[in-house]
Amino acid sequence: MSDPNQQQLPPGWAAEWDGTHQRYLFIETATGRTQWEPPVLSAELQPMAPTSSPPPSNVHHAKRRQYAAGQTQAYYGTESTLGSGGGYPAPPSQQQQPNQLFTPGLAAENQFQQQQQQQPQLQPGQQQYYGGVQPEPEYINGPQYGQQQQQQMGTLADQFGQMNMGQKGLRLYTTNLLTSPPDPRELHNPPPEIVLPPNSCISPNPSANADPSYQRCTINAIPTSNSLLKKANIPFGLVLTPYRSLKEGDEAVPVVTDTVIARCRRCRTYINPYVQFIDGGNRWRCCMCSLSNEVPQLFDWDQVRNAPGDRWARPELNYGVVEFVAPTEYMARPPQPAVYVFLIDVSHSAIQSGMVATATRTILENLDRLPDEDGRTKVAIIAFDVSLYFFSMPPGTTDSSMLVVSDVEDVFLPKPTDLLVNLAEARASLEALLGRLGDMFKENHIIGSALGPALQAAFQLMSPIGGKIIVLSSSLPSVGAGALKNREDPKILGTTKESGLLQAASPFYKTFAIECSRGQVSVDMFLFSAAYQDVATLACLPHYTAGQTYFYPAFNARTEDARKFAHEFGEVLAQPIMLEAVMRVRASKNLRMSSFHGNFFVRSTDLLAMPAVPQDLSYAIEVQIEDTITAPFVVFQTAVLHTTCYGERRIRVVTTALPTTGNLSEVFASADQVAIATLLANKAVERCITHKLEDSRDALFNKTVEILTAYKASMTAAGAGASAQLAVSENLKMLPVLVLGLLKNVGIRQSSQIPPDLRAYAQALLTSLPAQLLMPYIYPTFYSLHNMSPECGTVGEQGVILPPPLPLSSERLERHGLYLIEDGQTIFLWVGRDAVPQLIADVFNLPNYEVLRGGKTTLPLLENAFSQRVNAIVQKTREMRRGPYWPHLYIVKEDGEPALRLWALSCLIQDRSDVLPSYQQFISQLKDKVNGGNY
Amino acid sequence: MVFFIIMFSDLECDYINPIDLCNKLNQFVLPEIGAHGFLTLLFLVSGQWVAFLINAPLLALNVNKVRLSNHMYDATEIFRTLPAHKKEAFIKLGFYLVTFFYYLFRMIAVLIAEGDA
Ligand SMILES: [Zn+2]
Repeated sequence: MSDPNQQQLPPGWAAEWDGTHQRYLFIETATGRTQWEPPVLSAELQPMAPTSSPPPSNVHHAKRRQYAAGQTQAYYGTESTLGSGGGYPAPPSQQQQPNQLFTPGLAAENQFQQQQQQQPQLQPGQQQYYGGVQPEPEYINGPQYGQQQQQQMGTLADQFGQMNMGQKGLRLYTTNLLTSPPDPRELHNPPPEIVLPPNSCISPNPSANADPSYQRCTINAIPTSNSLLKKANIPFGLVLTPYRSLKEGDEAVPVVTDTVIARCRRCRTYINPYVQFIDGGNRWRCCMCSLSNEVPQLFDWDQVRNAPGDRWARPELNYGVVEFVAPTEYMARPPQPAVYVFLIDVSHSAIQSGMVATATRTILENLDRLPDEDGRTKVAIIAFDVSLYFFSMPPGTTDSSMLVVSDVEDVFLPKPTDLLVNLAEARASLEALLGRLGDMFKENHIIGSALGPALQAAFQLMSPIGGKIIVLSSSLPSVGAGALKNREDPKILGTTKESGLLQAASPFYKTFAIECSRGQVSVDMFLFSAAYQDVATLACLPHYTAGQTYFYPAFNARTEDARKFAHEFGEVLAQPIMLEAVMRVRASKNLRMSSFHGNFFVRSTDLLAMPAVPQDLSYAIEVQIEDTITAPFVVFQTAVLHTTCYGERRIRVVTTALPTTGNLSEVFASADQVAIATLLANKAVERCITHKLEDSRDALFNKTVEILTAYKASMTAAGAGASAQLAVSENLKMLPVLVLGLLKNVGIRQSSQIPPDLRAYAQALLTSLPAQLLMPYIYPTFYSLHNMSPECGTVGEQGVILPPPLPLSSERLERHGLYLIEDGQTIFLWVGRDAVPQLIADVFNLPNYEVLRGGKTTLPLLENAFSQRVNAIVQKTREMRRGPYWPHLYIVKEDGEPALRLWALSCLIQDRSDVLPSYQQFISQLKDKVNGGNY
Repeated sequence: MVFFIIMFSDLECDYINPIDLCNKLNQFVLPEIGAHGFLTLLFLVSGQWVAFLINAPLLALNVNKVRLSNHMYDATEIFRTLPAHKKEAFIKLGFYLVTFFYYLFRMIAVLIAEGDA
C-alpha cells in the first residue's frame, strides 16, 4: 500500500525498503546517489513533499510490524488467511490466551478482569471490554491513512498527467478481485474526478458542476461513440435527486430572483457555467447545440440596487445547482396553495393496533411544521372503514361535525364547503377533531376498507387545486372501486409465477394514478397491516403520482413502532414539498434520454410529470449515444419547473458537465460504481415486474460479467484468453460486491420465504432511495462495538466518531462480542453468547446475557461512558443520512429467535446463505464466466 | 391499423399525450378483436379451411391477450413498450392487407368459376 514504487516517483528514481532503519531508501538509478527523503520532481511538487506519503508510511509500516501477521492480513490480505474468526483481537490478549476466541464464559471473564487490571492506566475511567483492548487504534489509523494516501496519489497522478503529457485524463489502476477483498470504506469515496478540458467553464467556482448528491453519471468521461461504449459495456445513465434535503452544513441552493432567465432559443437550455460568451459579451453560445443567442437586456442589471451589476457574479454562471424565480410565462395558473388530505383508516384493526391514535397525535404535533409560510395551506380529514366519514369544520368555530357516506359505489361529497379548510383559520377545530378522532371510533368493530372510494372522494375534494393525499391504511381494500383480493399464495413463492404477485392486481390503481397525475394530486401511502395488504398494487399509486410508500408490517403502537412511525410521518409532513412539477433532462447533441426509472408519470418522450416532489427521492435515467460526439465535453441539464409550498413558481436547474473521451481506459477509470449500482437496482426491479425474478437476477449477473469481460479483453494482457486473475479497475472494485448485495436484497433475492408485501416494499425502496441511502441498503454497515477504540462514540470534529466498518462476513463475529449491523432501514445490535455480564450491564442495564431479550428495543442511556458511546453511535446512525427514515433497533442474541437471527445475518452479504453464494464463490463464478465466455 | 401507427408517431413527436392516446386507441381494441374473431368464425362455419387456418394464430394470440388482460394500452407503460407496439401494428397491418387480397382473389376466382359454369 505504501510502497513508493507503486506511487509516482520521478523518473530515474527507485525506492528500496531498508530493514534496519524501517524506512524506504531512495536511489537515483543513474548516479547511484541515495537519500532518505523522497525525491521530488519539480518546484510545483515541493510544497507537497512534507505531507506526501513516504514519511508517515514508514511509521505506519513500523507499527504494523509489531502485530501478528494475521491482524493486518485480515484487513488487507487474502481471505484465506482469515480462518474462522480471524486474528482480530489485539496482540496483548492473544499472547495471554491464544484460544480466547472460543473460550466460553469463565475464561473470558477471567480475561476481562485481567485486562481490567492490566490496563487501567490506559483509559482512566474508561471501561474496556475484552477481546479488543487496543493500546492504539491502529487499524483505524491505518486505513484512514491509506485513504488519504490514495487521494494524494490521485492528485499527484493528475499533476503528473497534466505536467508530463499535457492532457486531461484519469489514470487507470487495475486490481485483481481475487486477491483484494472489498473494503467498505471505498463506498464513501467521492466518484472519479471530472476532469474537464481547460477553459470549458467560465466560472472558477468549484460548485460550477453539480454536486454528485444532486446528479451523477455512471461514467464521468463520456465515450465519443456508441461503439466505444459497447466496448466498455458499462451501463450509461444519470442518477439524480434534484430535490435533495439540506443537512446541517450543506450549502443552500442559490436563487436567481430577478426573473431574467436566459435560455437557448433552439434547445431551451438554461444558461449555465459552460456556455461561452461571444461577440464582446453580447451573445452567448449554447453549450448543447452551439446556437448563438442574445444575452437578455437586463442580464447585467442589478435590480435590487438598480445599478449595473456584475455578470460574473450571477449564480447561474457560477453554480451547477440554481433556482430561478419564474415569471408568469411559466405558469398555467396562479401558484396553488399546498393541500393535504389525510385518509385515515378507522377500521377495527387500525384502531386496535393504535395506528389511529399515533397518527392523529403525530399530525397534531406537526401542525406547526406543515409548510404554511403564506397562510394558504389547506387541510382535510376523511376517515374510512367500509363507509366514509367526512368532517366539516366551519371557520371560526372549534367544533366539527361528522358526515357519514355509506354509499361507496357512487361517491359524492356530502357538503360543498368546509370539508377542505384553511389550516390557519380552522386550526382550533382541527386540533379538537384530531384530539377526539381516536375516541370517536374506539368501539369500531367494522372490518374492511373502502380505500378506493375514499381516494375518489379525496380527489373530488381537492381536484381543482391539486396537492397531496396521505393515506394511512391498515387493511386490504375490500369494498367499492379498487377492492382487492388476497392473492398471497405461499405455494408460488420462489417459483416463476412469483413476479405476478408484484404486478398490480387491479387496473384501478393505475388509472386512478393517471387521473391524479393530471389533477396534480400526489399520493403517499403509509401501510400498517399485519396480514396481506397487497403492497405491490397499492404502491402503484405513489409510484405514478411521484409520492412514496412507507410500510410498517404488523404495526403495534405499544412497541417501538409508534416512535418510528411518528418520527417518519412527522418528517414527511414537515418536508417543504414542490408542487405541480414537471422535470425534463436535456443533454448535448447526440445524447438521448432513453428510459426513465423512478416515481413519476412519463407524460411525453422526455417530460416527467410529478404532481408533488418529495425530498430525497432518486430517479434514474438511461442515456443513449445516438451518433459520434465531437464536442470536447458534454452537458446534462435537469430542469424542474415547480411551485414551492409557499406559492412561488420556480425552476430548479441542475447542470453537470462531463468530458468526452475516445480512450477506453479513461472510460473505465471514470466509471462511478455507486451510480452504476443505483442504475442497475432500478433496472433490476423493472425487470422483476415485467419478466421473472429469476430473469432479473440473471440479467444483473450477466451485466457484471459483461463489464468484467470487457475490462479483461481490452485492459489486461490476458486479452481474450483465460486468466488466473479477475481484473477490474480500482474505481470499480466494489461493483461486484454491490451486485451481490442487490442479488441478496429482499426485493430480488431468490427465496421462497419472503412475503410478497415485504418484497414489493423493498422494490419500492430500491427504485426510490438516493445513493446515500441505497448503498447501505444493499451493502449494510457492520461495526464491532465491544473493542472499538476509545474515541469512537465520542464527539469529534465531524460529529460522533464511528468505528471503522468491517467487511460483511460473519467470520468477524466473535462469541463475546457486541456488533452493530445497519442497512439504513434497520439497526441490529448483535450480542454474542459469551458476552460478559459487565458488557450487558453497561449497555442494557441487565445482570447477564441470559436475561437479555431479543427484539425491538430502545437502549437505555446509562451513567457510564460505554453506554453513552453506544447510544451516540446508534443516534448518529439514525441521523447521518438524508431522508425521513428512523431505523428500528433490534437486539439480536446469538442463540436467540432464529428468524431474527437469520434476518440480521442476511445483512452479512459476503457469507454464503442457503443457495446464495458467498463473496468468494460469487467472484469465482464471475471469473469462470469471464474466462469461459465466448469472447 | 394505419390510424394506430399514426397515433404512435404522434406520441413520439409529442403531439398527443399518452393518456389521450390510450383512451382513443383502447376504444378500438375490442371491436378489432371482435371483428376479427367473427370473421374467423365465419370461415370456420362456411368451411373455408385455408382462410380459417391463416387467421387462427392471430385469433389465438388475441384470445390469450384478453385472457391475461393485457390487450389494452397502458398509459403508464406506453413509453417503455412503444417500439413493441409499433412493430406489432405494422405486422398486423401487413397481415390484414395480405389476407384482404387473398379473400379478394378467392372471391374473383369463385365468380369466374361461376361465370364459366
Ligand atoms: Zn441550445
